Amino acid sequence: MVSSQEVEILSFLLGDQSMAFDVDSVEMVIERTEIRPVPKAKFFVEGVINLRGRVIPVVNLGKVLGINVEDGELKSIIVVKTKDVEVGFLVNRVWGVMRILESQVDHLSVSDKFGKKFKGLIKRDGSLIVYLNIEEIIEEITAKEGA
Amino acid sequence: MEEYLGVFIDETKENLQQLNDTLLKLEENPENMELVNDAFRALHTLKGMAGTMGFNRMAKLCHIMENVLDRARNGTLKISSDIMDRIFEGVDLISKALEKIVNEGSDEIEEDVDLFVDTLKELANIPQEKNEEKAGEKRNANNEGVEGTIERVALSEEVASVLKKAKSEGYRTYYVKVILKEGTQLKSARIYLVLHRIEELKGEVVKTIPPIEDIEEEKFENEVEMFVITREEKEKLSEVLSSIADIDRVIIRDVEPVREERVMKVAEKAEVEEEKKEKEEEKRERKKISSQTVRVDIEKLDTLMDLMGELVIARSRIVEVLKKYNIKEVDEGLTQLSRITLDLQNVVMKIRMVPIAFVFNRFPRMVRDLSKQLNKEINFVVKGEETELDRTFVEEIGEPILHLLRNAIDHGIESKEERIAKGKPPVGTVVLSARHEGNNVVIEVEDDGKGIDKEKVLKKAIEKGLVSEARAATLSDQEILNFLFVPGFSTREDVSEVSGRGVGLDVVKNVVESLNGSVSIESEKDKGTKVTIRLPLTLAIIQALLVKVSGFVYAIPIANVDTTLRVSKGEIQRVQDRKVIVIRGEVIPIRELWEILQVPHEATPETMEVVIVRAGNRKHGIVVDELLGQDDIVIKSLGKVFSDVREFSGAAILGDGSIALIVNVSGIV
Repeated sequence: MVSSQEVEILSFLLGDQSMAFDVDSVEMVIERTEIRPVPKAKFFVEGVINLRGRVIPVVNLGKVLGINVEDGELKSIIVVKTKDVEVGFLVNRVWGVMRILESQVDHLSVSDKFGKKFKGLIKRDGSLIVYLNIEEIIEEITAKEGA
Repeated sequence: MEEYLGVFIDETKENLQQLNDTLLKLEENPENMELVNDAFRALHTLKGMAGTMGFNRMAKLCHIMENVLDRARNGTLKISSDIMDRIFEGVDLISKALEKIVNEGSDEIEEDVDLFVDTLKELANIPQEKNEEKAGEKRNANNEGVEGTIERVALSEEVASVLKKAKSEGYRTYYVKVILKEGTQLKSARIYLVLHRIEELKGEVVKTIPPIEDIEEEKFENEVEMFVITREEKEKLSEVLSSIADIDRVIIRDVEPVREERVMKVAEKAEVEEEKKEKEEEKRERKKISSQTVRVDIEKLDTLMDLMGELVIARSRIVEVLKKYNIKEVDEGLTQLSRITLDLQNVVMKIRMVPIAFVFNRFPRMVRDLSKQLNKEINFVVKGEETELDRTFVEEIGEPILHLLRNAIDHGIESKEERIAKGKPPVGTVVLSARHEGNNVVIEVEDDGKGIDKEKVLKKAIEKGLVSEARAATLSDQEILNFLFVPGFSTREDVSEVSGRGVGLDVVKNVVESLNGSVSIESEKDKGTKVTIRLPLTLAIIQALLVKVSGFVYAIPIANVDTTLRVSKGEIQRVQDRKVIVIRGEVIPIRELWEILQVPHEATPETMEVVIVRAGNRKHGIVVDELLGQDDIVIKSLGKVFSDVREFSGAAILGDGSIALIVNVSGIV
């Protein structure tokens, strides 16, 4: 079955890998600002930032996915907002929004490494983009320890 | 209809609450006709609204209870406690129906409404009546006029409230007088035409004088008066009506609910003067209330609060920047800006405040049911219902108070026999009170029951290994009572259906502390128990002591701070591996904040800044690097990502745009 439905994704670089989120849940992209560390938080939480008077947690996406990324390389924050959670993800840099056809997404390949956080693989112009499941990632980072 | 559903739900809730209150009072004074009237009116309004919305089961319930009260009102029925119980049951059914409407949009409750109606009918001796089918109708025309003056009053009241409601929904309300030409034939047909035309204009005739039946039988002279609700302009209405043949004149006037009262007065001259005055006063009062409140979506208030917070921060930033340049000209403007922001902040805070009556309202009914169930007589006193508190608390604080009341009634108050044997008044008293005290709201639940058996508590504490037997002997009464707040602590062997004494106190403590408040308990054998809850006035802005640790700022709520002091290394002693300091004979455990939070830090310096905090009734010393001073901070939630971080209760943005983490004192000691 080939579906020709179009989806919009926001692609970005994390480490040396291009990745993407669904654009719907992305609120904005900002340059990295000063992050206030929060002691005793989960290991992948870098801290909080002041985003126009709001306090937003910042998560190191590399740590969530188990990819080692040099901290100095992480220069952008993608702010994602779902129903009840607003969170910023640290990434190297953001490429931009692109439209892809659903048929361009390879759902068959499974990722051992990313598990349910992985939605599929997008082949485009000879390069590969890891298509991430943002809902699942949020689910995981907000889960209570041990739950 | 959809768009009215929200309003319907809100208003029905309010009416139900009012009905409950009135019925409780009525239960105490079954002879008080004024209360019967109040209850009748509340039911009448409920019925009207339910009927309009097409919730016929609800309307039916209201109708039968209304009938019962009506019989009480005209003296054919005495309100027995049996009937009272039934009526309460009915109110519960209505509440259930409302809940169903909220959740599923239908009032189809599982309970058998017809069975209830029949039971009540039998109990109250109400014969089958023909107009029962009309229960759901907005205008219960058959009732009208039949029962004389009182019914007329109730009706005019109804008309007024219908008009008022229409007006609030953006309809125009008119008083229309149609005068037919002398010698007109088929007068009722003409008037029918008038009514028909009004209907064509999507208008509604609320009431006619004379009543519709009299018009039908042509029992009127040349004029008919009516109250009309429509969206049309006055001119349009006048034009349409004047075009009808044989109509001499049409007089249309705007009706304000108050002016309408005057019109009614003219129309109902026969009424007893005094009664009228009373009603009028009541109405004026009601009008005053309705014109003074506005329903606002809580989200909008929260946004307003957020903006307010940002404004406070922005102002602090400007002030800070300008300090460097010392420009005289801006001083005055800046002072004014500061004052206005402060005033604005106060106003916004006040908007968020609601009377604690919102929480307290449901308790009288609960106490009544519980005391009946337990067969205890309780004199339940509520004080300070008008005390205002942040609306965020309203949802949270209900459960803890409920726990405390249950405890008081179930275990605090003794049985009647026991009380008499002790020489106490046979009826137990439970007092629920609220008041402001400084920047706090204080809520107290007090009973004059048997008090808490401290020896039993102590025994249990030893059993549970909370305290050694040797140490137990040295504990003060207060320290013993504090064991009750330990999770899972209960002094009652058999946990009753209602509540176990002590069970829930830890829950109470948790909820209250999560709201930045505190709980304490006092109890004296055979005199009673008093539990005191202290809450900050608002959750959104608090006073905090700002401290620095490893280069970052933390905020400690002032409510938790006892004092600050400087301690040298030499003053710290060790007791079983724990560091303590002794202040005026009091031994206080002490810890470094950097150690608690596990943040990197250089070696502990020779002299240390120590903040003495209070959690529950215990003091703890917290060592910090630097004391920065006291400030008002706007609390921001840390959100779900930090849901497992107990050490912080939120964050605040400081004047320089940096973020301070707010220390949750009960989470770190």
